[in-house]
Amino acid sequence: MSVRRKGPRATIVRIVTYLCLVSVAVIVVFPFVVAFATSTKNSQDIFNYPPTLIPKEPQTIDPTEVALPDVDADADEPLPLYAFPDSDTQFALVDNDVSVAEFRPLDDVDRIIRLDVTSGEKTGEVVIIDGAEEDIFAIEVDGTTVEAYRSRLTSGGQFVSLDDPTDVRVELVNVVEPLQQFGPRLENFEEVLIEKDFGRSLTNTVLVTIAVVSGQILTSILGGYAFARIKFKGSGPLFLLYLGSVMVPFVVLIIPLFQLMLQVGWLDNLSALIIPFMFSAYGTFLMRQFFISIPIEIEEAALLDNASRWKILWRIMVPLARPATATLATFGFLYAWNSFFWPLVIINSGNPDGRVLSLALSTLGGRSSTDLNLVFAGAMVAMAPPILVFLFAQRYFVENSASSGLK
Amino acid sequence: MAADAADKADAGVDRPDAPDTALGRKLKLLSLWHLVGAAVSVMGILLARRSGDIELPWMPRYALQGFFSFAFVAHMASAYGVGARTRWARPLSLAVNYLLTLVAASATLHLFNAYQALGDFGEGLYKAFLPFVVICVGLLWVLLSGQMLAHRPTAVGPLRLRQAGWGLAGIASVWFVVKADPSGLISSIGETLTRPLALGAIALTFCAALATRLMWSRAAAKHFGSTRRVDEALSGLAFLSPNLLGFFIFFAFPLLFSLWVSFFDWDTTNTTRDFIGLENYIRALSLDFANSAQSNAGTEVLKSDYQVLANLDWFGQHWVVGARDVEFWLSLKNITVFLVLAVPLAVLPALVLSSVLASKLPGMKVFRTIYFVPSVAGVIGVSIVWGQMFDATIGWINYILDLLGISEAGQGRGWLTQPDTALLSMVIVFAWMSFGFNTVLYLAGHQAISKELYEAAEIDGANTWQIFRRITVPQLRNTTFYVVITTSILALQLFDIVWILARPIAGGPNFATQTPVLTLYQEAFTNNRQGYASALAWVLFVIIFSFTLFQFRRQRSEVSAGGVS
Repeated sequence: MSVRRKGPRATIVRIVTYLCLVSVAVIVVFPFVVAFATSTKNSQDIFNYPPTLIPKEPQTIDPTEVALPDVDADADEPLPLYAFPDSDTQFALVDNDVSVAEFRPLDDVDRIIRLDVTSGEKTGEVVIIDGAEEDIFAIEVDGTTVEAYRSRLTSGGQFVSLDDPTDVRVELVNVVEPLQQFGPRLENFEEVLIEKDFGRSLTNTVLVTIAVVSGQILTSILGGYAFARIKFKGSGPLFLLYLGSVMVPFVVLIIPLFQLMLQVGWLDNLSALIIPFMFSAYGTFLMRQFFISIPIEIEEAALLDNASRWKILWRIMVPLARPATATLATFGFLYAWNSFFWPLVIINSGNPDGRVLSLALSTLGGRSSTDLNLVFAGAMVAMAPPILVFLFAQRYFVENSASSGLK
Repeated sequence: MAADAADKADAGVDRPDAPDTALGRKLKLLSLWHLVGAAVSVMGILLARRSGDIELPWMPRYALQGFFSFAFVAHMASAYGVGARTRWARPLSLAVNYLLTLVAASATLHLFNAYQALGDFGEGLYKAFLPFVVICVGLLWVLLSGQMLAHRPTAVGPLRLRQAGWGLAGIASVWFVVKADPSGLISSIGETLTRPLALGAIALTFCAALATRLMWSRAAAKHFGSTRRVDEALSGLAFLSPNLLGFFIFFAFPLLFSLWVSFFDWDTTNTTRDFIGLENYIRALSLDFANSAQSNAGTEVLKSDYQVLANLDWFGQHWVVGARDVEFWLSLKNITVFLVLAVPLAVLPALVLSSVLASKLPGMKVFRTIYFVPSVAGVIGVSIVWGQMFDATIGWINYILDLLGISEAGQGRGWLTQPDTALLSMVIVFAWMSFGFNTVLYLAGHQAISKELYEAAEIDGANTWQIFRRITVPQLRNTTFYVVITTSILALQLFDIVWILARPIAGGPNFATQTPVLTLYQEAFTNNRQGYASALAWVLFVIIFSFTLFQFRRQRSEVSAGGVS
């Protein structure tokens, strides 16, 4: 609008405009970023709050690398690292199943001090806590001796400081903050493709999409050419019927089509996802519009040479109609790849071999799903191809969407 | 293809009245073929009626009866017509033989289990996905080098490239076959080949195809005195036929069938099928209003069979509204609310953004591309992503609200689990998905606005807002109308988003996200009331169609008024 304007005010307007556009773009892109980030997280990381966009994994250390006291840790396993709030050094969890005693100082019974079960000496005295007799222990805390009673015995972890091997602490593992580092888990994709049967769903979707798209292109080219160039009785009313059919929502056809598939025995079969969708009134319309726009003289010359309609169509018209075919192919691809309602109705026996991606995704990502990382890996597998196709073929999308709005 | 070959073979014949003995003999055979066909059709009718030892489902049974009856009449007429050399014999015989070819071919495929084998093919593709990808790469290679050749037809490089592409695809195809292991398929084909029924089906397909080819030939056309007009019509119908058959079998027939089913009490497995007239529609649409003094009045003030839909206070009076199908009415209410919220949210941003994108500032195409992505990404994936965004404990929406200080940490809202926000959340997802597409539609509308209007306005010193308000919006009136209608039609069919996002069950919480299509799905496939669900489908169809009709009439009046739309 105000392209030609100059001056500081126009510059500010432009900056504000770009800021608005960018913020909308952020709103659009952000969920995809979240999806991608989540798809590379591990199964603990997905439940962390606040949510982050960076996949993290526990930081570990090889037990042979650092001088550690000889503890009964399995020397082959990497040791996870933790941080204590009162210390700058990192601690390795050398044993996550040691007996821990919880002491409560008598002068401050709400405070909990966790020590190794062997520490502390009985003073011989007792104290009454909540009506029960408890022995009093003398324990050492930060260099001073404190009187406390033992409130509970539990199991926790034994931590050793990396800088000072004598600094050995005992604490409940879930109380200490685990150290984390950047660690994408790309095995999610492998797991979802193989263990969750997404690979099979993916190939089914590929098969269905290829069959539907090629079928639609073939029938639409033939039908579109007939409507565009061949005069025959009833072609006008038939074409109107085709146009009208675009207005009928698919929900009206669901039940009778389901009955039809039931009767011919195609329930739970990929045929039911392919064969009814190889015919497209929309595609026929699209091809007809394109063929009509091709000058008739091109064809007349060939007709005079006694070429058959069939030859003319494939030798002359179809090569010219490449843009329209590409548009049809991209739209057909999107439709077939993303369709969900019809597969949901038809592939209903829970047999994973007949599933397409959208169906597998909705089953895996159901309401009670806990493998969010796997679900999102599956979602990426399902969403990436249409997005990529769109990015490469967007010329055909955008032009056609535009022309449908103008008619 | 067949026609081409026949053309060449018969090119020498140019004396239509001279009896061509070869053709004459062939035509006699054809007459005989039709007579045999008629006889077989009679047997077919009898077999289909008796339904023999194989109990066919009712639909193929009726279809076969109808088909054979029709085939009998058509065969008899063709046999007479071919013998008497009447003008209409050729189109009729062609139609009969062509349809017979298709039916016989489909039956052959069925006997060879081809339709079920598609599923097995999916399995093979899974096993051999890598070779498949390599084939695709090879073909892409061929395509690209073809493009290069089109620019420089004499270049050697692209030619070599194309050969390499073909070679790659060929090697990968062999690899594919080895990996996919078609031995099961081959053995099953071999097994089927020994069955007489399968052999008969193949023979029938072959004979019918031969007969079609004979009648299609130019010699036959001359023999029957075919005019150019009829030839054109025949080739037109031949081109249209695959499409037309699909249209009738998978669109027109189901459409009428669904209307028919809606007058029946009909369950999924076809064990119940009672004609009940308009009862389904009456049940779906019945409402009852009862005036009650008590504010807590319920079902007792309504007619029997009605359940409370809403309690209303109008002008100091208490009304109880009841409906026989409460779920359906609730879904109508929900979809109305959804429509009112979602359509403006999906259209207004598109209007504003398109006005910015239509300016020739740098980078606009990038934004256009970005905005379009949600509408192609696939609704299931997108809904799953948003399900996590809206999550009460670990969701991003709550976290961002928390960061902005709008809500307290850990006190986040369960967007999808609370009835008052569940539908709103889905409105947001819907608008997010569709505004980019609408933006592109608007951009097309912008191209139709004449640049002089803007130039004139700028000369007059109008500011940006004035230009937008006084020129852009009025000039985009028709586009807005189109966009609003198409978005509404999409919104009325809301299903997938609800299916994924609604918690704890589809339509929940507490029917807050029950939509008409969901009700239809549940009635048809959970409650097995296909007749009733068909009635719901038609009610929905009428609602949606009224939107379409509205648009159609408006477009027409625009055109007749000379407006450019």
